[in-house]
Amino acid sequence: MPRLPSFPSIAAVLCLCSFLQGTSLLADEPPIVDFENDLQPILTRFGCNSGPCHGKARGQGGFQLSLLGFDAQQDFDAIAKEGRGRRVFPGAPENSLMLAKPAGTIPHGGGRRLDVAGPEFQTMLTWIRQGMPRKAPNAPVLKSITVNPASAVLAPKQTQAIVVTAKYSDGTERDVTRLTAFQSNEAPIAAVDEKGVVTAGEITGDAAIMARFMGQIAVCDVMIPRIETIPADDYAALPRNNFIDELVWQKLQRLNITPSGICDDHTFLRRVTTDIGGRIATQDEVNAFLADTAPDKRAKVVDRLLQEPEFADHWANKWADLLRPNPYHVGIKATFNYDHWIRQSFHERKPWDQFVKELLTARGGTFRDGSVVMFRDRRQPEELTTLVSQLFVGVRLECAKCHHHPFEVWGQDDFYSFAAYFSKVGRKGTGISAPISGSEEFVFTGTGGAVTHPVTGATMEPRPLFGEAPPIVEGQDQRESLAAWITSPNNHLFAQTMANRVWSDLMARGLVEPVDDLRATNPPTNGPLLKALGEHFRDSGFSLTDLVRVIANSHVYQLSSLPNDTNVSDTRNHSRHYRHRLRAEVLLDAVTVVTGVPSEFDAMPPDSSARQLWTHRSDSLFLDTFGRPDPNQDPPCERMSDSTVVQSLHLMNSEKLFRDIGSDSGSAKSLADSSKTGEEISVELYTRVFGRKPTPDETKLVVDLLAAEGAVRRQVIEDLMWAMVNSAEFVFQD
Amino acid sequence: MLNRRRCDGISRRNALELGLGGFLGTSFVGGLKARAESQHGGSVPAGKAKSCILIWMDGGPTHFETFDPKPDAPMEYRGEFSSIETTVPGVGYSEHMVKLAASLNDYAMIRSIRHDQGNHGAGNHYMMTGSPPRIPVGCGAFVSFHPSMGSVVAKELGRDNGLPSYFSMPQMSRSGGPNFLGARYAPFVVGDDPNAANFKVRDVALPRDLTDMRFGSRTDLRAKVDRMVRLNDEAAGDPVLAFDEYFQQGHSLVTSPEAQKAFDISQESPETRDRYGRDGFGQRCLLARRLVDAGVPFITVYDGGWDHHSDIFGALRKRLPAWDNSVATLIQDLKERGMLDSTLVIALGEFGRTPKLSTLAGSTTAGRDHWANAMSVLMAGGGTPGGTVIGATDRKGFSAVDRVLSPENFVSTVYHKLGIDPNKILFSPQGRPAHLVSDPTPIAELV
Repeated sequence: MPRLPSFPSIAAVLCLCSFLQGTSLLADEPPIVDFENDLQPILTRFGCNSGPCHGKARGQGGFQLSLLGFDAQQDFDAIAKEGRGRRVFPGAPENSLMLAKPAGTIPHGGGRRLDVAGPEFQTMLTWIRQGMPRKAPNAPVLKSITVNPASAVLAPKQTQAIVVTAKYSDGTERDVTRLTAFQSNEAPIAAVDEKGVVTAGEITGDAAIMARFMGQIAVCDVMIPRIETIPADDYAALPRNNFIDELVWQKLQRLNITPSGICDDHTFLRRVTTDIGGRIATQDEVNAFLADTAPDKRAKVVDRLLQEPEFADHWANKWADLLRPNPYHVGIKATFNYDHWIRQSFHERKPWDQFVKELLTARGGTFRDGSVVMFRDRRQPEELTTLVSQLFVGVRLECAKCHHHPFEVWGQDDFYSFAAYFSKVGRKGTGISAPISGSEEFVFTGTGGAVTHPVTGATMEPRPLFGEAPPIVEGQDQRESLAAWITSPNNHLFAQTMANRVWSDLMARGLVEPVDDLRATNPPTNGPLLKALGEHFRDSGFSLTDLVRVIANSHVYQLSSLPNDTNVSDTRNHSRHYRHRLRAEVLLDAVTVVTGVPSEFDAMPPDSSARQLWTHRSDSLFLDTFGRPDPNQDPPCERMSDSTVVQSLHLMNSEKLFRDIGSDSGSAKSLADSSKTGEEISVELYTRVFGRKPTPDETKLVVDLLAAEGAVRRQVIEDLMWAMVNSAEFVFQD
Repeated sequence: MLNRRRCDGISRRNALELGLGGFLGTSFVGGLKARAESQHGGSVPAGKAKSCILIWMDGGPTHFETFDPKPDAPMEYRGEFSSIETTVPGVGYSEHMVKLAASLNDYAMIRSIRHDQGNHGAGNHYMMTGSPPRIPVGCGAFVSFHPSMGSVVAKELGRDNGLPSYFSMPQMSRSGGPNFLGARYAPFVVGDDPNAANFKVRDVALPRDLTDMRFGSRTDLRAKVDRMVRLNDEAAGDPVLAFDEYFQQGHSLVTSPEAQKAFDISQESPETRDRYGRDGFGQRCLLARRLVDAGVPFITVYDGGWDHHSDIFGALRKRLPAWDNSVATLIQDLKERGMLDSTLVIALGEFGRTPKLSTLAGSTTAGRDHWANAMSVLMAGGGTPGGTVIGATDRKGFSAVDRVLSPENFVSTVYHKLGIDPNKILFSPQGRPAHLVSDPTPIAELV
């Protein structure tokens, strides 16, 4: 419990609760306390109505408040009427449970929350003395809040106080800083305390400080640049391959940091091949690329990779993560058809808006039309709402299903109006009969069905989250209107959500993180860039290929991961490339290429690659170990990208990997059987595993090992191969 | 396990959790504090247990033929087995539970847990996580809506000693996964049979044909070929540093004689191995005890095949004596070694079985079907008072009628005993708070 500053004078107390009336006041007769404007903010500020306390669905100790005070009437009843009126005791206001509990004068599970000498305690006391008025006469309504300053540039360790002003319907304003909750999205860069004082850290970067008062939110942008400035000419001299570079350099210039140098050719080739094709480059590709002297050879590789089927499979695999149903739920044939439709769409390079439209308006049978399977998997309008809004609009509505979203503007009205678009989805045939769910089901444009508001019981009319959707014509599928609204060129969130995802796939970090959580209170690290990427994507006709190309061709994409003197602590602004561990499927396919022993998967033709798997029911200890999501989980899309000791152990000791490296049909054996010299073997190994030529030192290492007394040629090669597969250079993309 | 921090010392997920603590709670600082404490401002329960062995009887074990016989019920209810006395006067077990009947003073028996999920998938989820499935779940379904006990315990009690914190042998139970806690807390599955002569724990032991010496030269070689530049400045947030640390941890695990000892069941005397029973289940119980010795906080011994729709008596006549022996031996062995106070042992399945015998179409032998209105659960160790028998079912075993308890009560008890507050709030990666157990009331008689 943070200690509260105590206000010394009674005048201050009166100030706080008297601003609303604006009438002249006698010092001994405090103005009427308004429940909504004066009392509820206190409940919110001190956490009384928070999720872990009385705000949770079952309340706490029999006392239940609406979460974060979104329902004033419920809260008023809970305090003033329920519990047989035992919570307030006008006869002896100080003895009210409502005061004695939080003040800690009688035991309170939530501990001591209120300072008896503080103004909040006095406000609550006054309210009880006045007989718990539901509303003060002529009480205005809160309209908005503002923060001052709205942005700040701070030196390391510098502090800055934020003042929060609430504006009311009658034109009055009030300083509500004391009752505002603050939060920094990057506390190490700029932290904020409960009084609204921002303290800059020692890391260069920027942070958003959110202020929240009674459902209203305002943001203060704080930037902490490096102290040493960089000459403007240095930025002017940087390469600008396309608009991305310009916008990134602008941001770096404001932070006084400079980008790292451009990466080596071999680093670029491995990076772009794993990113676009989900595979490692072959020896021939490495040799040809390193030998190529054309100035545009990097752009040519990008173009070539975008033509390949591997590009489609790799990116379909990513989207299958997000859409893939539980086969025990929808049935295996439906799972197969759905995967096929997703995969085929990527192979056709289907424009993204078309993909989404087809998915959202799908009609047909699950045995023929894979695109309908989402409607078999997600059967309730509510389930479809959270999935669709998060994936395609970057809006997370999960919370709004039950209560007003704590960080955003969405409430239950928004949620159920959106859900109403899915109210008339017709289904016939055989529904879910887990675990086999073996029969066919048809999805069609139905006529019946409605979504009702869980609190008011009102039947909801379909309404988009913002803006206008095309009117629904009689007999038309409501989903078509929704699909048109989502994929509209005017819906900036549709384009930006995908652009942010693809940026994150290629740059190892989204401009917004998490990638599907776009909202005012979670600002992008580079707003102009996100806007420009969204517009570029839209203007290209929502072409994924084009979006990947423009990013991969930017100079920013091609930066080295090695920091310079100015940017070592930059982990957000892309002044250098950020390393990441290869994705499970990419890593497994890479291991297969290295050992020369193909993987075998259930329910797949021979020589299939991991990126082509259509269901996670194809067992693979390797893929599970490296974070392939569990398809039995709901939602199934959480994928782990960090390292674990279990992964290290698997690469180190897996029987299968050991056997494959030592296989008689593997690449180590054929290399050993060849007449290649030690030097040639070193080149072959380094090119195959690391995608580069060995340095003279590395060649010497291999030559010496092979020439050592008692060395067994095949064994040396196997050991080298094992050592390389267990190296960071193999497991990570640099 | 260790979580490599980003440069700022706080991972994104943590940051989100903390931030939400701040927003939903009082303030940033208040939020931090709230997360560190029990939400009632009280302290974390002082659990005595450091580890838990879960014996999962997959399929739903009958309560009649094990711990809750109904000798006075008509034949079509009581079945073919008779009842024997236990060490607790008035409490009878079915005739094959000989050793467990004789040692009831060492553990507690709960006979009154009931719930409403009669399908395998749903019942498994409820008992394994303490949370009912959110949507109807069929029998064959494998679902996860909430972290399992094993994953939660791994997260809360796991140590940075390189050893996986959650084992499951020989397979994972349906809902035994981590859900939103992330794959880091998924069970480490040991599929191989410890009863086999050449048994090794996968990935933790060297591949069969690799000698120690060659492994040594391989790791030396790795140090030479792995030349990727490490960004040693913490602020750079280089994920390769975590990778190095895990490699080191894994390497020490493989090369440390102590760690390897834990997995080397052949170090047990033949007498001990015989005592546990020379079958997969018995040896897994023994291996579980060795893992507890090595500091692993949660081990699931998965024991399949309890779904006796037919031939229940024939099957159980064969199975129960060995099962009874293995479980009784595990408890006895832990007790003899002074480990029982710090080790919780629980045995259960997803539900009980129907009171009235039935013969399925196409079958010639009687069996019992799924029945969630009553089930028996064994709990030993971690300060569980021995000889305690909680609750009762009615005369025919239809339903728990006395001291009716829920899966939530049971799972809360397990957490409580391990020093984990069942009322704790977990945050999903989306920042949504969820109570560890919705009704966090442990079974008072057992704590």
